[in-house]
Amino acid sequence: MNDKEFAAVAAHVHDARKPLNRISMQAELVKMALDGDVPVERAKEALDKIIVSTKDCSDALTQMMDALSDSQSES
Amino acid sequence: MLTVLLVDDDPEFTDVACTIIEFLGHEVLTAANLEEARDWLTKESFDHVLLDFMLPDGSGVHLFDELDALGKRPRVTLITGHPSVRGIIKGLCGPNIDYLVKPIQREEIEAVLAGKTDIQAQSTGSKIKKYFGHLIGESKSMKELYKLIERVSRTSANVMLLGESGVGKEVVAEAIHAASDVEGPYIATNCGAFSKELIGSELFGHEKGAFTGAVGRKSGVFEQAENGTLFLDEITEMPIDMQPNLLRVLENKVVIRVGGTKTIPVNCRVVSATNRTMEAIAESKVLREDIYFRLAVFPITIPPLRERKEDIALLATAFIDELNRENETQFRWKEGQLETLKEYDWPGNVRELRHFVHRAAIMSDPDKTELDLPKTIESPFAKKQSTTPALQAGRTIEDVEKELIYATLEKVNGNKTLAAEMLGISTKTLYNRLHAYGDLSKDD
Repeated sequence: MNDKEFAAVAAHVHDARKPLNRISMQAELVKMALDGDVPVERAKEALDKIIVSTKDCSDALTQMMDALSDSQSES
Repeated sequence: MLTVLLVDDDPEFTDVACTIIEFLGHEVLTAANLEEARDWLTKESFDHVLLDFMLPDGSGVHLFDELDALGKRPRVTLITGHPSVRGIIKGLCGPNIDYLVKPIQREEIEAVLAGKTDIQAQSTGSKIKKYFGHLIGESKSMKELYKLIERVSRTSANVMLLGESGVGKEVVAEAIHAASDVEGPYIATNCGAFSKELIGSELFGHEKGAFTGAVGRKSGVFEQAENGTLFLDEITEMPIDMQPNLLRVLENKVVIRVGGTKTIPVNCRVVSATNRTMEAIAESKVLREDIYFRLAVFPITIPPLRERKEDIALLATAFIDELNRENETQFRWKEGQLETLKEYDWPGNVRELRHFVHRAAIMSDPDKTELDLPKTIESPFAKKQSTTPALQAGRTIEDVEKELIYATLEKVNGNKTLAAEMLGISTKTLYNRLHAYGDLSKDD
């Protein structure tokens, strides 16, 4: 993998990591709701956001695979 | 309650982080970029800034200058979503700067706001056990120390840490804080670092206009450590005429800011430290007796490294592991090298060992696993460990005698009766010699 390819992969990893970080934070919120520390509605919102973030993460990984296969076919 | 500024450009992250911070009982304001953060800093006073490393209009580090210019510099926790920049961020960290790597857990936010760091460092896993998250060592003397920390952590008693320079008094203070079930933060200050004029403001805070340069109100370290731990390093270097003020705070548990009139209740454990021995403190009168008894409710003496040589290998390994993580190197000690380290007396204690390991890592080839050690381990502070040139040819007997007398007096902290006994001379003879050296007045 050359520098350009490595930079492209790093950018995709960054894009995938962002929704993962969001999932982690929202999961903390769900835990707090289960403990009764925040209203249960916040947990429902958090779970919806987790579902959205998993899709974002999946999209980011798909884009990374597409970009990698494009660069493979170019070389 | 702390006032926290959260600077991050991800609204979803800030939304949840705010919920957590507010749940923890703190007030939180948010900024999505450096510009908004700068704006907040002109309007509000913050105790803690949680700062994203990469923001749309620059790195969070660019905010450091503004933070330095504030009358009361908040603690800073840098946040990054890039584990690869962990090393860079750690390099920026100091006594008042921590870092967190996303994904962040609630406990980690709680820990940084309480001043209890190293949560991530522990979870990323070093094989060497860190007692109370801070202390390394399996020697008998360290196990004794752990017992004392555990006992005192269950109480709110003030602790005085005694030990030579470099033994890790501040690390022990952090360990006491970590072991204690307290909600407030850990705040450290060095009593020897402030002039007589400024130490009052540092400890008790000041009101706006209290003195030239007091452009804003500032809370002192006693207020900042509310419900937590206040570490007063080099307590014996505090100007003696400031000590009655400190005594008043310790006795009455209230502070009055410099230039103020209102009494502010304070509640924190005070851990103080000195590198003087108890005997030296008593004899040299650097600390008032009443203050000593207030501060040293529970005195703890930290052993020098030469008295726990079995811990040297553990410490050296922990230090090199830490450097490997920071610099992405793979250095490993050889058994023989660790033996060499054990043979040295380390007069500068753990600090000297840490610096030595750091120097060795810098001098070694980063692409290899072997560490290159210098042929000898030398320290400017090691002269007391080595043989002094007292018996070199060419020196006069008077010279050697004078050196021996002063060395003996130093050893017994100036006690002339004891020194005379050790030297095998009468006290009168010792006094005569000191008179001859011009070190005593005729009245002595």
